[in-house]
Amino acid sequence: MQSLFYFHFPCMLHNGSCDLAIMASNFSGALQLTDLNDFITPSQECIKPVTIERKPGKVGKIRIEDDGSYMEITNEGVERKLQKAKITLNDCLACSGCITSAESVLITQQSQDELYKVLQENAQLLQAGNGEAQRTVVVSISPQSRASIAAKYKLSINDTALRLNGFFQRLGVHHVLDTTFARNFSLLESCQEFIQRFKESETNKTVFPMLASACPGWICYAEKTHGTYILPYISTTKSPQQIMGSLVKDYLANQLGIPPDKIYHVTVMPCYDKKLEASRSDFYNDMYRTRDVDCVITSGEVEKMLEQEGVSLSQVEPLPLTSNFPCLVNGDVLSHMGGGSGGYLEHVMRFAASQILGHPVDRLQYKTLRNQDFQEVTVEVSGKPPLKMALAYGFRNIQNIVQKVKRGKCPYHFVEIMACPSGCNNGGGQIRPDDGENNKDRLQTVTDLYNSMPSVTPDNYSGVMDVYNEWLGGFGSEKARTILHTQYHEVEKMTNALAIKW
Amino acid sequence: MAKLECVTTLEGHVDRAWCVAWNPSGTLLASCGGDKTIKIWGQEGENWVCKTVLTEGHQRTVRKISWSPCGNYIASASFDATVAVWSRKEGDFECIATLEGHENEVKSVAWSVSGSLLATCSRDKSVWIWEVTEDEDFECASVLSSHTQDVKHVTWNPIKEVLASCSYDDTIKMFKEEIDDWTCFATLESHQSTVWKICFDQSGSRLASCSDDKTIKIWQEYLPDNQEGVVTTGNNATWKCVCTISGYHDRVIYDIDWSHLNGLLVSSSGDDSIKVFKETDGSDKNAPSFTPMCSVNKAHSQDVNSVVWNPKVEGLLASCSDDGDIKIWKYICTDE
Repeated sequence: MQSLFYFHFPCMLHNGSCDLAIMASNFSGALQLTDLNDFITPSQECIKPVTIERKPGKVGKIRIEDDGSYMEITNEGVERKLQKAKITLNDCLACSGCITSAESVLITQQSQDELYKVLQENAQLLQAGNGEAQRTVVVSISPQSRASIAAKYKLSINDTALRLNGFFQRLGVHHVLDTTFARNFSLLESCQEFIQRFKESETNKTVFPMLASACPGWICYAEKTHGTYILPYISTTKSPQQIMGSLVKDYLANQLGIPPDKIYHVTVMPCYDKKLEASRSDFYNDMYRTRDVDCVITSGEVEKMLEQEGVSLSQVEPLPLTSNFPCLVNGDVLSHMGGGSGGYLEHVMRFAASQILGHPVDRLQYKTLRNQDFQEVTVEVSGKPPLKMALAYGFRNIQNIVQKVKRGKCPYHFVEIMACPSGCNNGGGQIRPDDGENNKDRLQTVTDLYNSMPSVTPDNYSGVMDVYNEWLGGFGSEKARTILHTQYHEVEKMTNALAIKW
Repeated sequence: MAKLECVTTLEGHVDRAWCVAWNPSGTLLASCGGDKTIKIWGQEGENWVCKTVLTEGHQRTVRKISWSPCGNYIASASFDATVAVWSRKEGDFECIATLEGHENEVKSVAWSVSGSLLATCSRDKSVWIWEVTEDEDFECASVLSSHTQDVKHVTWNPIKEVLASCSYDDTIKMFKEEIDDWTCFATLESHQSTVWKICFDQSGSRLASCSDDKTIKIWQEYLPDNQEGVVTTGNNATWKCVCTISGYHDRVIYDIDWSHLNGLLVSSSGDDSIKVFKETDGSDKNAPSFTPMCSVNKAHSQDVNSVVWNPKVEGLLASCSDDGDIKIWKYICTDE
C-alpha cells in the first residue's frame, strides 16, 4: 500500500510579500500538512512519504490512525509508529514539483533556533574550559532588514545598526557585518559582466537582455519553469548574500586564521527565498563540508529573537561596530544609489553609458510603464544605438519580460528583476506592520529609512577595492571569475501526469 | 406552460464537448472539446453545418472558448496550460497569439466588454488579466491569487470593468482595478461545494451561480448608501445572496446562463437535464423567487457541460455534452 501525504506550498511569486511571512513563521520547524485534496496538482504538491525500513522477508501492514500518523504492524502484531521522512531545502531545489518558495518548506536547518543552538554550544564549550573549540559566529545584516527593523522600533538606520550589533554581540556573536560591503562586489561585477556580454553580443544572441540574479525567488522560478530558454540570460554574478558568504568563509577566514567550517555564518535577510539560495549546492564547500552561508534568518525572525529575549531594540545598548569590513563611515551606514533592491540597473546603466557610449550620465530618468513596478531607463547618444534597461518587479511584470525574451522581442539590454512587488524592501521576510498600520504605510517608512542612508559608488566604498585587489587580484582575474560568479541549472519537469481534473 | 424543442443535433466532437459559445451577432456557434479542436457552426438555409474546424492550436483538451465583443476574435482555454487567440480574417480563423504563463490547466477565458482585456483562470488557483495591445499582443496586467483552489470560471460584468471568478474553494470573487493593480473587493460565500459557473444578468447588478451543491444562487449588488441599508465598505458594493434555487437538479449543476433578452435563466447538469427558470412576476428584488418553466430530462445522453442563450434570437439555445453532441433548442412558451 502506498500512502502519500501532501503539503501545500504557497508561492511567493504569486502572492508577493503578502501574508506568507506570518504563515511561515507559524509553521516553524514542522511541515504543514493539509487535508488530502484530489485537486492538488503536481506543481502544487510535495510528496512526503514515510520512511519504511526494508527488511527482507518481512511482510507487515500499515495502518493510518485518525490523527494521520502511520502505524506499522508486523506479522507478530507488534505496532510501531513510522517516522515521517524529512524534506531538506536541497530536496526542494532538486524537484520541479513547485515553483518554490522557502516560505513554507520548513526549514529546521535555517531558523533563529539553529543560531541559538550554535550559541549555546559555544557557551557550553566555554564553560567546560574548551573555548578554543567554539565556532566563530558571524552575522551579516542586509540593509533592507536593517530598514525594516528600524521602522519597527522607530529608530534611525545608524542607531539600529549599533543596537543590532549590541544585541547580537551580547548573545555571543563574534562579528556583526553589513552585506552592503558584499553588494559592492556584486555591483562592480555586474557592470564588468555587462561589458563582457556587450562585447559578445555581435556573435551571441543570448547575451541580452542580461537579467539580474540577486533575487532567489526569481532564480528558482526561472530554473523550474523556463529552463534553457531563460537561464543563459541570467547574470552569473552572485548575489550580495552569497558574495558575503565567500568574503566570510574565504577572505575573513584567512584573515582570522580560522578554517571555514569553524565559522558559523548567519545572514539577516528580507526574504525567505534567501534560505533556499544559501542551500544551493553551488554554495557548498566540499572540502570543508560547509556552506558559505550556514543559516538565513529573516527580519521577522530577528524580531522574534528580540521578543524571546524580552527586549525592544530601543532598550538594547548600542555597541560600536569594529569589523574587518567597514560598515560605518564617519558615523554613517552607507548604501548605493538606485533603490531598495540593490540598484543593479542604476549601476549597470551608468557604467555602460560611460564605457560603451562614452557619455557619463548625472541622473537616470526612470519612466513608469504599465505600473509602478515596471520602469524603463533609456540613455541615448547621437550616432549610437541607445541603451535600454528596465526594472520589472512582481510576478506579472516578470511574466511579460520572460515571454518577450522567449519570443526574441525583449527590447532591453538589462532587466533588474525582483519577484516581490515593490522589490526587496517589501520582501516576504520583513517585519509585519503593527496593529492599525497598513502594509503600504509600513513599506513607505521602510523605504524612507532605506533612502535616508547616504550612498556611495562601489569603488569609492571604503576598503572595497583594497579587498578586491588583495583577495581576488583585480578585475577579470581567474579568482574573481570563480569566487564572484555562479551558475544555474534547469530543473527537469516532472512528467507523471496525475489524473486529469476538469 | 413552456417547452424546449430540439431544433437540431450536431455530431460535434469525437470526445467530450465542453463548451458552446455564440458570436455576438448570434449567427455563429463555436464549440470545443476533448478532441483539442474548436468548431465553428453556422446556418446554411435551414441546416446547421460545421463551417470550419480550428486545429493545432492546442496540445490537450480545449475547455472553454470566448468570442471578443467585436466578434473578430476567439480566445480558447486549454488543459495544455495555454490560451490561444484566433483572429477571424475573411471567414478563416488564424491563431495569432498563444498566451503562456499559467502553471497548468487553463479552465476558462473571457473578454471584457470593451474587448481590451482578457481574463483567464486555471487549476493553478490564479486568475490572470491580460491587456490587449494595439499590435494584437497580449501583456499580463495582473496575476490574482485570491482563490485557494482550482478556479473554474471567469466572467466580466456587462456594464463596468469588474471581473468575477468562481472556484473549487466554493467561493465567488470579484475584482476591480485599483491605483496600480487589480484587487479582490468581494468574496461571495454561500455555496456548499464547487461553484462551476457564474453569469451576470443584463443590468450587471445581479449574478447567478451554479454549484456542485445542486443549487443555483442569485446574488444582488448593493451599492454604498443603498436604500435597503445593506452594509458596504468604502466605495465597494456588497453582493448578497438573495435567492437559492434548489431541489430541481439531482446532480452537479455545471452551467447556467442568463438571457439578456428576456431574463430567462437556463441551467444544465450532470443529471443530463436542461432546465429553464423565470423570475416570478412581481417578486421582490431583495428576495426574488424563480419559477421552473420547463425541463428536458434526457437532454443529452450524458452530462450537459454547457448551455447558452443566443444573444440576438430570443429563446434560441445551444448545449453540449460529454456525449460529444451539440444541440440547438428553441424555447417555446405556450402560455398565452
